[in-house]
Amino acid sequence: MSNMEHTASEAPLKTFSCQLCELSSPFTYHGQKPPNTRAIVLLEECFVTRDPFSPDREKFLVLGSNCSLCGMRVCAGSDCSIFYTKRFCMRCVNKHLDQFPHQIQAELAKKKQQSSRTAVS
Amino acid sequence: MDSDRRRDSRSWDWDSQQCRAQLDEIFFRKHDYIQAGSTEHREFWAFFDRFQRFKTRRDMSGSSRKEGREEERDQRRSGTGKVDLGLPKEYDARYRINVSVCTKDVEERLGKSEHRGRQRSSGPGSQEISDCRLALLHFLDFSQRQSFGKLAKLRREQKNLPIYQYRDRIVELVRLHSVVVVAGDTGCGKSTQVPQYLLSAGFNHVACTQPRRIACISLAKRVSFESLNQFGSKVGHQIRFETTRTTATKLLFLTEGLLLRQIQQDRTLAQYEVVIVDEVHERHLHCDFLLGVLRSLVAERSDLRLVLMSATINIKLFSDYFSSAPVLQVPGRLFPIQVTYQPIPPEEQASRSEKLDPRPYLRILQGIDQRYPPEERGDLLLFLSGVAEISTIQEACQIYATHTRRWIVLPLHSTLSLAQQDKVFDIAPPGVRKCIISTNIAETSVTIDGVRFVADSGKVKEMSFDPKAKMQRLQEFWISRASSEQRKGRAGRTGPGVCYRLYAESDYDAFAPYPVPEIHRVALDSLILQMKSMCLGDPLSFVFIDPPPASSIQTAVTYLKEQGALDSRGELTSIGSLLAQLPVDVVIGKMLVLGSLFRLEEPMLTIAAALSVQSPFLRSAQHNPDCATARQPLHSNQGDPFTLLNTFNAWMEMKGERGGGSRKWCRRRGLEEQRLYEMVNLRRQFKELLRSHGLLESQYSTSSGGDRGQRRERLTERRKLHQLKRDHEQQESTRRKVLKLEEGEFSSGSGSDTEGAGKGKNGKERSGQNVDIQEVKFKLRHNISELQEAVTVSQDLSSRQQALLKLLICRGLYPQLALPDEHNSTRKESEQVFHTRNKQGVVIHPTSVFASDPEVLQVPESDTREMGPDRVDSSKHQLLAFVTLLETNKPYLTNCVRVPALQTLLLVANSICSNADCTRLVVDGWLELELRDPEAALKTLSTALTHRAEWERLLLAQLGTSTMGGQAVQGVSRKVTEKLSEGLVRYLLYTEVSYSLRRLTAFQTQNLYIGPQSESELPHTNTPGLSALFPGAEAKPDPIKGGLRVTSFFNYNCLADSKDLYSECLRTFWSCPNCDLYMPLTPLERMQHEASCRPAGEQQQTEEEPESGKACSSSMSSLTRVYHCDVCNEDLSLTSTEILKHKRQHMFTTN
Ligand SMILES: [Zn+2]
Ligand SMILES: [Zn+2]
Repeated sequence: MSNMEHTASEAPLKTFSCQLCELSSPFTYHGQKPPNTRAIVLLEECFVTRDPFSPDREKFLVLGSNCSLCGMRVCAGSDCSIFYTKRFCMRCVNKHLDQFPHQIQAELAKKKQQSSRTAVS
Repeated sequence: MDSDRRRDSRSWDWDSQQCRAQLDEIFFRKHDYIQAGSTEHREFWAFFDRFQRFKTRRDMSGSSRKEGREEERDQRRSGTGKVDLGLPKEYDARYRINVSVCTKDVEERLGKSEHRGRQRSSGPGSQEISDCRLALLHFLDFSQRQSFGKLAKLRREQKNLPIYQYRDRIVELVRLHSVVVVAGDTGCGKSTQVPQYLLSAGFNHVACTQPRRIACISLAKRVSFESLNQFGSKVGHQIRFETTRTTATKLLFLTEGLLLRQIQQDRTLAQYEVVIVDEVHERHLHCDFLLGVLRSLVAERSDLRLVLMSATINIKLFSDYFSSAPVLQVPGRLFPIQVTYQPIPPEEQASRSEKLDPRPYLRILQGIDQRYPPEERGDLLLFLSGVAEISTIQEACQIYATHTRRWIVLPLHSTLSLAQQDKVFDIAPPGVRKCIISTNIAETSVTIDGVRFVADSGKVKEMSFDPKAKMQRLQEFWISRASSEQRKGRAGRTGPGVCYRLYAESDYDAFAPYPVPEIHRVALDSLILQMKSMCLGDPLSFVFIDPPPASSIQTAVTYLKEQGALDSRGELTSIGSLLAQLPVDVVIGKMLVLGSLFRLEEPMLTIAAALSVQSPFLRSAQHNPDCATARQPLHSNQGDPFTLLNTFNAWMEMKGERGGGSRKWCRRRGLEEQRLYEMVNLRRQFKELLRSHGLLESQYSTSSGGDRGQRRERLTERRKLHQLKRDHEQQESTRRKVLKLEEGEFSSGSGSDTEGAGKGKNGKERSGQNVDIQEVKFKLRHNISELQEAVTVSQDLSSRQQALLKLLICRGLYPQLALPDEHNSTRKESEQVFHTRNKQGVVIHPTSVFASDPEVLQVPESDTREMGPDRVDSSKHQLLAFVTLLETNKPYLTNCVRVPALQTLLLVANSICSNADCTRLVVDGWLELELRDPEAALKTLSTALTHRAEWERLLLAQLGTSTMGGQAVQGVSRKVTEKLSEGLVRYLLYTEVSYSLRRLTAFQTQNLYIGPQSESELPHTNTPGLSALFPGAEAKPDPIKGGLRVTSFFNYNCLADSKDLYSECLRTFWSCPNCDLYMPLTPLERMQHEASCRPAGEQQQTEEEPESGKACSSSMSSLTRVYHCDVCNEDLSLTSTEILKHKRQHMFTTN
């Protein structure tokens, strides 16, 4: 176990950093097929790391990816991007909001309302 | 459609384990991302149930369809003149998932089942498989969101810490300077963030010290979580019993004491690149010393980086100590706190003897109730000085709480059981506040969230050391302004708060600015010993940040000399250098060494461990009759260490027999099980230390034995235990439980029982916690069968072994001895008085066995003989050896053992002075023993001297080999030690000499000794054979006391009433039991003869002994000396006996 860790920590870690919220964290893989994920395939090219909150070493965590429209690097957080068949950064979502289904529009509107309410109080 | 469903439900049941197992074989196989049987697998099926329920609800409301159509319309309306994103027409939650699961298996089955349709009567059809796959996708997405949410929250919190904006500045300072001081108040985040900043800046091998063990564990846990290495070992902790350090560890949290031990092994700390010393402002003894050591190390190692972290207290002191090291000050994150001074009116101030008046405290509770509506949450933290004060105020507050039903009153101090301490973290129900009544433990060590009100008594009880009486003293003091601010700050951690100070503002202004550092308050024995072993030179010239008084260093040096750890020149002795490496008190270390010499290591390990931890006996259970009855069989009237030994053994035996259930067993006896676990850990550490110093035969662990089947069984068992531990650790982070209103009402009395009931009631909800995690850790850490063997060994101690064990304990504890007052037999049980050398009129602590059973300390009347008004002769006088002398309201002796007075003193005392015929002995200048029968007196003394010489020889031989790193071979053969122990036991048990025992008055000690004598007054210094009494020791006149110094501890004929030993009137006829000598001899001549004339068998044995052969032959040769016979006019090489025989020859011929 310690051996594996040693080699893992030895490998130079590149850092993923969201261009919207500045969240940053080292990633270990970029692509659609993270190692040891068997039947699982990602539907976009993601920045992936080992899931730090799982005791299982093989579990992965998607940190984010590039916006399919503008190419901006965004995190998977719902404040920064949305995945709907493809990744869209929040700027692009807002620009093309009318093309998104009603459910998503409603959701975003609700969120906006909430955040403005907390900002006031 | 409907009929399809009905048909499905007949053949397929989602709730059936079997049906699910069939899907497991498709989706959760051994090599799949999620495997059947794993935690995620369990979570998936739980998720699946929720997901199905959600779908059914949605289907029933039929909303999805409608919404779908609306959406289509929406979409058709939009989209002119803009980029077409090519999004699907109909909304599906599935499109929001960026993962897909596809295997050949799944695809095939989906395809096949379409062909076969519903032919398959059992097994999943395509519908089931796609349902399951959809659920799996949602589950994966859900897990991703969950983990990402955690990460995002973590990063957000890190960014919000006040220290975050100084991140680059800190790294830069550490790069540029060898020493940096980071000062910041509670809540600024320095302890968790600074080590991480340094790690991510590329520093490797960072050590971060903490004053408290608990902080090492919790910080390592927190920082490894924050640095996303929760399940790795990049961040670890190391404390006394445990470590999570591996070769991959880059950041290690450890205690100050442990880093000092590492410096002992690795003087330049080459293993670290950065050392962070946290909480330096607390000024603990170890921390002050560590700073001193690091100060010279930094000068030596230019690549070492040192970071001191402190509260914003007295920062200049630290900066100046390290030649004006740069200081970075970080503002804390405290909410505003309103301070109210409410000094206690004179009529409510308690005098020294009285109990505390609760009225001022009750007014605070009332005030809060009047001023703040109950729905505004916020608890009260009340600081008092000590446990007695806490229970007084708790009682009064509880009455108020029961009446108003608005408070839950909880005490908090270190002598409470851990379960009771833990309650302060639980949550009060709505409309009710916690009132936590605490000692200064809550000032820094324990942090409780949700406190809005603080009430500060301004008092603290602190342990100080009185070097004159060699006594620990627990005294009440006003706190310092720094402490006062710290207490206040506890109200503003989570929101604006209020602090009530129960003193005047003028009092506050008069407080000392800072608390007295520990180095000025405590005994420095261990510190000085450690300094000596680290070769730091004269402790008086060491540059401390705030040097302790020279007198206190002096006291420690004297004490260490008395203990035999330092020689007369103040250098380490061989036992001293061993003791310096044991992380225990000098006395405990000595016991361990002695125990291993006599092969009583098993019981001694337990006793040494028991005396090094807090007592497992809960004070609160003492007045509970059920507990008292259950405890009774554990008591030993030999003394408290034996009661502790019995308790540990019974606990171990019970654990072996029943496995679990030890929690309940302990509860019934009012025992804090945690202490027993600490004992078993410490015991193991001691054993390893003794082994590594060659003091115990290295044993090949029996755990590797057994056949393959057994080994496999053990392996599976261990795996299961590891799993249990992991599960527990995961559950630990689950939410706190809500307190019940009645909670406080029981906690003062029979608290331990209600705890059990409370846990039982919560039943299912906390079922995970029914796993006794301590038991699991215990089983993982220890080899139970080995432990049980050890217990068996120490359980069936014969009375002989017990007598020897007592002697060894006593030699360890010496000079901590107390004499029962002569009038104790006429006093009540509770009024028994004792005297130590430096302190008169001490009493036995109520927790001791002798407090309830003092008769065993008295001389039995059948054995006494009144010799006069002040003199009671008996052979059964006893002394108490004790571990600590502690003054609270009275001076108390704690952890006592009773020992036979005469024998023990002669065997362990550092100074024994005699008169000419050895009927009067003065020990250590304060105890006087008078023996009636000169014959018996001489024999008793001489036997003791013989035993001691042998004992010393064996001890040195053993320590000699141990320091040379001899591993398997022990320096002393079993036969030789057995011989000695037999001799000692016989001496202890069967010496039936009648004597009186009393304490000398101050006047008597003034004219005790003859004083220096001129050569002419000492005609016998060149008496043949005097030096042969003890090999290597030369009897010479004592320049201070007078008389002859026969050994380092025995001074012959120096008492003022002494007669001349060689006057012919003292000569009596005597026949030697070992040889055929029969002639008139003076006492000294007799002792000389006895010292050199051994029984034939004994001498043979020493010759047989291979290892110490050299030492032996040299000692034998030192027995012979050159004797010039005037009659023969010849130089003869003879032993003293031979000289006597030779002389006798002439005597008869000349006559
Ligand atoms: Zn982002
Ligand atoms: Zn974009």
